Amino acid sequence: MKKILLFSTFIFLGFMSKAQDANEILAQVVAKINGVTDYSVDANIKADIPLIKILPVNATIYFKQKDKFRVVSKGIAILPKQGFTDMNSFLAKKGAYMVVESGTKTIGEIKTTLLTVIPTGENSEFILAKLWIDTKRSLILKSQITTRSSGTVNVDYTYTDHVEFGLPSKLVFTVDVKKFKLPKSVAADLHDTDDKKKDTKKDEKSGTIVIKLTNYKVNKGVSDSVFKEKK
Amino acid sequence: MLLKNTYNEFVKILAKPRSYLGIGALTLLIAVILFAMKADGASFISFVTSSFEQTLSFNGNILNGNLIAFIILQMLIIHIPLLVALVTGDLISGEAAMGTVRMLASKPISRSSIVLSKFIAGAVYTLILTIWLGFLALIVAKWIFGTGDLIVLNSDGLVILKEQDIMWRYGLSFLVAFLSLLTISTLSICLSAFADNSIGPIVSTMAIIILFTIIGSLDVSVFDKIKPFLFTTHMASWRSFFENPIPTSKIMQSVVILLAHNVILVLIAIVKFNKKDITS
Repeated sequence: MKKILLFSTFIFLGFMSKAQDANEILAQVVAKINGVTDYSVDANIKADIPLIKILPVNATIYFKQKDKFRVVSKGIAILPKQGFTDMNSFLAKKGAYMVVESGTKTIGEIKTTLLTVIPTGENSEFILAKLWIDTKRSLILKSQITTRSSGTVNVDYTYTDHVEFGLPSKLVFTVDVKKFKLPKSVAADLHDTDDKKKDTKKDEKSGTIVIKLTNYKVNKGVSDSVFKEKK
Repeated sequence: MLLKNTYNEFVKILAKPRSYLGIGALTLLIAVILFAMKADGASFISFVTSSFEQTLSFNGNILNGNLIAFIILQMLIIHIPLLVALVTGDLISGEAAMGTVRMLASKPISRSSIVLSKFIAGAVYTLILTIWLGFLALIVAKWIFGTGDLIVLNSDGLVILKEQDIMWRYGLSFLVAFLSLLTISTLSICLSAFADNSIGPIVSTMAIIILFTIIGSLDVSVFDKIKPFLFTTHMASWRSFFENPIPTSKIMQSVVILLAHNVILVLIAIVKFNKKDITS
């Protein structure tokens, strides 16, 4: 009995210390993110998504703490619904989640620590988030976010110029497209032929959106009027 | 002589109140669509994009003049044939009904030229209707809703076309739409050569359109061989200009079939009118 109690205590303490490490790692990442009060950045958005044909689009992205976010583009730009700034906003809420260290992985040549973030609230949009973190620079290099409405979104981050703020220069989103369906009545096309119906793209389960971010203007102030939709 | 007679025929079209009825009805229909889109266009768009919007967000001015013009074209291309047939279906039979066909045939012009001049006058009226449709759909819609990229839902998915890549597509699609409507005009003139009253050819034209459309939409293998030769199958080929890449061979096939219909129907009308025993 004593042995079992001792073993359980050992396991619990081990788990607690890991959780504490994980919290510290994440706290450093969040501190870096919170150092950015606002930014604007030029974005080149390239979407390769089954059932959607779109050419690359240039846009300007504006962000302001806590959660003001707007994409301004001359044309139509497609972005993933989850995983852009909402993840950062969620991580900034201490107590809204618990973190567990779940191992290590080498991405490129960088050793990363895998953190699993589990929301504590029952009604949270996020179900689970896995973050691969470069602990030396306190940067998220890869994330996998599972949400109730959007399924799973994988994000790969590349950093060049704004490492000190944790702002990436390139983001590659891999989104779930299993739920995509076309309304048949609208899609009815008299030129609809068998070769179109056999289009293999329809069977693809994921799509990618690559966003290249350049010309960051960090903490230079962004007017609130930017976030108001023009009607 | 052909030109003079064509001019006379066009003046006759202009003198008929029903010619303005078509243009008026078209204006009213487009005004209703524009009002509906201004009032609640967002929900119309979300019907198309809702399944994507769970995962993706669409940023930018989606509900713009280019999209409204596309919606108007898609909605009205089915109904405009009635407005065309209303005027052109009466071009020969109307003369018989009014008793002026004998006087027309006694003019120093061949019967073939009479049919040709009616065909050309009908084509001019159809062109005016198409231009008016284009003006209201594109110019007025852009004035109200602004401009932007065009989001089109095809059978193989969403195609998003750049604003600067749209106008030439509209130009060519209006040409093909005109050819489709011209086929209706020619069909009704051809049927008009067989009738002695105004209403018969108009109703017959609409009945043929409805019949062919139903055959075209029935997914039954027995009709598979005739579907590619029905003019109604090719009336929506204007839409193909908004695909990426553009299915040029399919559009060309549609143009050839529509042109062939026009030539055959005009020839039938000429033969019938030449052989017609004019007693009224």
